[in-house]
This record gives sequence, structure tokens and C-alpha cells, in this order.
Amino acid sequence: MKAPSVTVISRMAEGAGIALDSLRSNKVRAALTILGVAIGVTVVIAMASAITGINRSITGILESAGPKTFFVQRYFSGGLEISDGSDELSPWRRMPEITVDEAELIRRLPAVRDVNVGEYTEGPVSYGGTNLSEVKVAGFSWTWPQVNGGDILAGRNFTAIEYAAGAYVAVINDKLASSFFPGVDPIGKRIKIYGLPFEVVGMHAEAASLFSDADEPRLAIPHTTFRKVADYWPGWMEIAVVPTESATIAEAQDQVTAALRIRRGLHPGDENNFSLVTSERVLDAFNKITAGFFIAMISLSSVGLMVGGVGVVAIMMISVTERTREIGVRKALGATRGEIMFQFLVEAATLTLVGCLVGMALGAGVAWGVRTFTPVPASVPLLAVVAAVIASILTGILFGLYPANKASKLDPVEALRYE
Amino acid sequence: MSALIRIRDLGREYRMGDERILALRGVTLDIHRNEYLAIMGPSGSGKSTMMNLLGCLDTPTAGEYWLNGEEVSRLTDDALARVRNREIGFVFQTFNLLPRATSLHNVELPLVYAGVRGRERRERAAAALDQVGLGHRMDHRPSELSGGQRQRVAIARALVNQPSILLADEPTGNLDSVTSDEIMRVFTQLHAGGQTVIMVTHEPDIAARTERVVVLRDGQVESDRVNRGAAA
Repeated sequence: MKAPSVTVISRMAEGAGIALDSLRSNKVRAALTILGVAIGVTVVIAMASAITGINRSITGILESAGPKTFFVQRYFSGGLEISDGSDELSPWRRMPEITVDEAELIRRLPAVRDVNVGEYTEGPVSYGGTNLSEVKVAGFSWTWPQVNGGDILAGRNFTAIEYAAGAYVAVINDKLASSFFPGVDPIGKRIKIYGLPFEVVGMHAEAASLFSDADEPRLAIPHTTFRKVADYWPGWMEIAVVPTESATIAEAQDQVTAALRIRRGLHPGDENNFSLVTSERVLDAFNKITAGFFIAMISLSSVGLMVGGVGVVAIMMISVTERTREIGVRKALGATRGEIMFQFLVEAATLTLVGCLVGMALGAGVAWGVRTFTPVPASVPLLAVVAAVIASILTGILFGLYPANKASKLDPVEALRYE
Repeated sequence: MSALIRIRDLGREYRMGDERILALRGVTLDIHRNEYLAIMGPSGSGKSTMMNLLGCLDTPTAGEYWLNGEEVSRLTDDALARVRNREIGFVFQTFNLLPRATSLHNVELPLVYAGVRGRERRERAAAALDQVGLGHRMDHRPSELSGGQRQRVAIARALVNQPSILLADEPTGNLDSVTSDEIMRVFTQLHAGGQTVIMVTHEPDIAARTERVVVLRDGQVESDRVNRGAAA
């Protein structure tokens, strides 16, 4: 008796072979046919790669800050929001600022190992004749290297005493060091921040990531000093909290929440007037934003696939007409309707699959470009590859159905007589 | 022993708009195993219709057709396809080889539809090509072969499934006389080897080589005689 599984494979090989043959012999026609599919797949692969890259670098930032680190913020929107300045659209107005006292309160909680307050701005920094007008200046607690990660390459961090005293000391990053002190040891040098003299006590290097570009010049000074000298937007200090080894994030968050509610005099039933932001919440927010990109991506690529599908219908109708006689011969030799149909569906799916491969190559090229020329570590996700292959094969089959059905219904006598 | 082909009052009617055309009107015929038979007739006699019905490419509108013990005149399209695959080997006037496929692949095709596995398929196709003297042209495409060689490939393709009947429609119509002679010798040899051969032709020279000649006229059997002078 028959062994269908084996012959299915050989028939698929035959159909694919015929399709590739006709691609070779009609290059322009074939190129136009697969163009739509190729564009659709290029868009999917390129965008999916970019989003994967951004996602990875965000995860990387959050993990470099420690997987258990969370942030106490005045307000976390969890997505994109637009404000016209009214109270309804500016919910942070009802939220009090986070204070340094609250940070000290949190530092003393049993489930908390470390805290770091953080406030940021950009300002002028100069050394000798070199002036940089927009250096990122951060005001931190003395504990910041333990909380934020990275390495002190030379010198030291500022001390708790320097912090308490509001000393004029700075830890600069390697980029700023190479701008001011190429080939010279920066430790002990005096630089000017907002025109005031600071001593460089250390040089710090952070891991490259999307939002804190290692190529940017930046420096950290004690938060107490920051408040005295910096020109900044007040009211948005945040606290990074690292739980102890033995405590879970949930335990630490519960203690922080309870401590802040008591200190702020909230009654049971009142909502928290502060936000705790974990890595997961940041990722959630990011995913909400990227969902929009995904929808745009899917609609763009569907248009591509539709255009490709119409091309498939056209080329397959031509193929069926050109090969009417061949269909007659195949039927005379014993091909059933299903077998004829299968052959043409394989042919159609091969066309779209070739388009898909071209698109994947282009998309991977775009991903490579993004990875090489931007800090986003774009990489092609396997899921997007699988989805693109399946979607393009399905497109081929769906749009191949009409011509394949037409071929399968040809009358063998008529088909054999066709000139 | 019962006949390989048993046809009773076979009729085929076509409708062209309001007009009804009776291409066959009540043909009764028995064909036995290992017969070598020619169906002749002028154009319009119904011999193409007869060939399509015998080859299970078409179904009759009246009468019965028993092929190898099975009533095939009422089968569905797909069942007819299976019967064609198993019972009938076609040889066409214009060869009808797939232009992009090699000789071997062309001959393999009926075995593909019969569900024969790859290795056995290649072996049987190669053997069939050997049988028609084309064992050395297996990897050639039809465009690289002469007319006679193409028809030999087509005969190998018709034989490869070991069908009950070899059904040839004007097999020498596109060939010169020398090549025609070669091809007819192939048919004669196959018949000598036990193959049932039915040839549809309008050429008396060709019919003269067979052992039995059925002449159709106006959709009916005009004469059915044994050809005593046939070269064995």
C-alpha cells in the first residue's frame, strides 16, 4: 500500500523545486511578487530586534542596580502621560516631595541594607581652559557605588563625613577624565562646577547601557553639596533602596510603606502618596509603550503580506494557465485533485517563504546596523523569526488557495488538449 | 477467463448550448489481456472520445465500462485518478513530458502518485528507461533529446507502474517514418512481452502492425476484425 508521509515530502520538494525554477526564469516578476512579503518581514524583524535590544538594555540597567533594588519616588506614571498643567492631569501635585529625612528613616529599617538618595541636573564644569557646558551632575549619598554598581577605577568615593559636611569633592567618570586630563592622573586635581572649586577624589566607570551612555561626561557629588551649589529642578529626589540579603523585596517594601505612611500621617484607607518602583514596574511601563510599537509593526507587516499575497495570486494564476497541459498530464498519470492542489500550495508557500528569507536577511542587516552604530544591543529574537516564517507560509497558502483550487478542478481531457 | 475490458452500450453525449452531440452511440466491445489492438476512424468518428473513456479521463453518459473486473463508469474524479494511476499507461502524440524534469524524474512521476518510496521509485524508473533503450539518457531533459527519444521516455513513463493497458494516442504522429518504425518496434516488443496495447490512430500503416483493428464511424463500431498479416 501507499506510504503517504514519504511521498508528501518528495512532492513538497518537487513543488518547491518548481517554484524556485520559475523564480529563476522570471526574475523581475518574481522579485515583484516577493517584494511585499520581504518588506513586511523586514519591518517585523528590524523592529522586533530593536525592541529586544532596548528591552535587554533596560533589564541590564535594572539588574546592574541590583535585582532587588527598588525606588521610592514621588510619582510613577507607568506609561506615557500628557499634562496640561491642571490638577486632574497632574496627579503628582497631590504627592509631597520625598525628603532626605525619609531616606534616613528608611535606612534604619531592619530589612534595608542601603539607601541612596539621588537628584540630577546638567551644568557647566571646567578645568584649566576646558569648559564643558552640559555635564551630567548627580547628587548622591556616600553609599551610591554600592547601590548603583560600576567600579571606582582610581582614588576613592566621597566619605560619609564629607557628605555630612557638604564638602566640595567630586567623583568623575572616565569620559570626563579623558576630556580634562588626557594621560594625566585626575586624582587631586581641582575642577570648577558651577564656577566653584571641587577636588576630584575618584574616577568611576559604569557599564555601558542605553540610558546612561558611558560616552557621556558625568560626575557625582555629595547630595548635601548638590543642594547648595546646583541649579536643578527641585522636588523630584528619589531614593534607591537595597534590601538586606535575608529580606525579600516584598518585606522591604512593606516596611518602607508602613514607615512612610506613619511618618506622613496617612489614615487606613488613604492611598499612598508616594510610589514604590521595582524593576518589574519599570519593565511593565516599558512594555506598555512597546505594545504600541508592536501594533504598528504588525499592521505594517500585514500590509506587506497582503501586497505579497496579491502578488502570489497573480503569479500563481499565470503559473496555472501556463502549465494547464502539465496539470492534464499529471492527472492522466494519476494525480488526484488534492495532490494537484498540494503541489500548487507548496509552490505558493515557497514563493512567500523566499520573500520571508529575503526580508529576514534585510531585517537582520538593520539589526546589525542598529547594534553597530547605536548603543542599543539589537538582536533578532527567535520568536520573530518563527512568527515571520509561519506568517509568510500561511500567506502563501491562503492566497495560493484560489489558483490551486482552480488547477485542481481542471478537466483532464480539456487540460490535455490545451495549446 | 473474463475480458480485461468489457464495454456495453457505451454512449457519450456532449451539450453545446442547446445542441446535443452524441459522440458515441452504443459501443459494445471486449478486449482481452495481451491483445494488440488499434482503434481507427476518420475525424469525428468518436475515436478521441473512445480513447478518453478507455483511459478513464472521462465518464460515459450511458452504458457500462468494466476495467479489470471493476465498473469504472460511475466513479468519482479522484477514484478515476487512482484507476488511471494503477491500470493505464498513456502515450501521447506530443509526448507530454515535463520540460523542466529529467528523463528519470519524468518516468518517476506515476510512482510518486502511487506512493512508492524514493529509492524503489528511482530503481523502477531506471529499469523502465533501460527497457526502452534509454538507460544512458536518464539525466537529460526533454529539450536535450530527439523526438524518438522523448517518445521512448514517455513509453517508459507509461510502463513504470506495470499498468493493465498501454493506451497510445497517435504515438507516431509527430515522428518521421524512420523514428516511427523504431517506436512501433518498441510497442511490438512490449506486446510480445505480454503487455496489452491499445493504439488510437488514423494511419493504416500503424494499424497494420497490430493484431486487431476496430474501426469507428459516427460513434459506432463499423468493423472489428483480426489482422492476420500482423508482424509478431
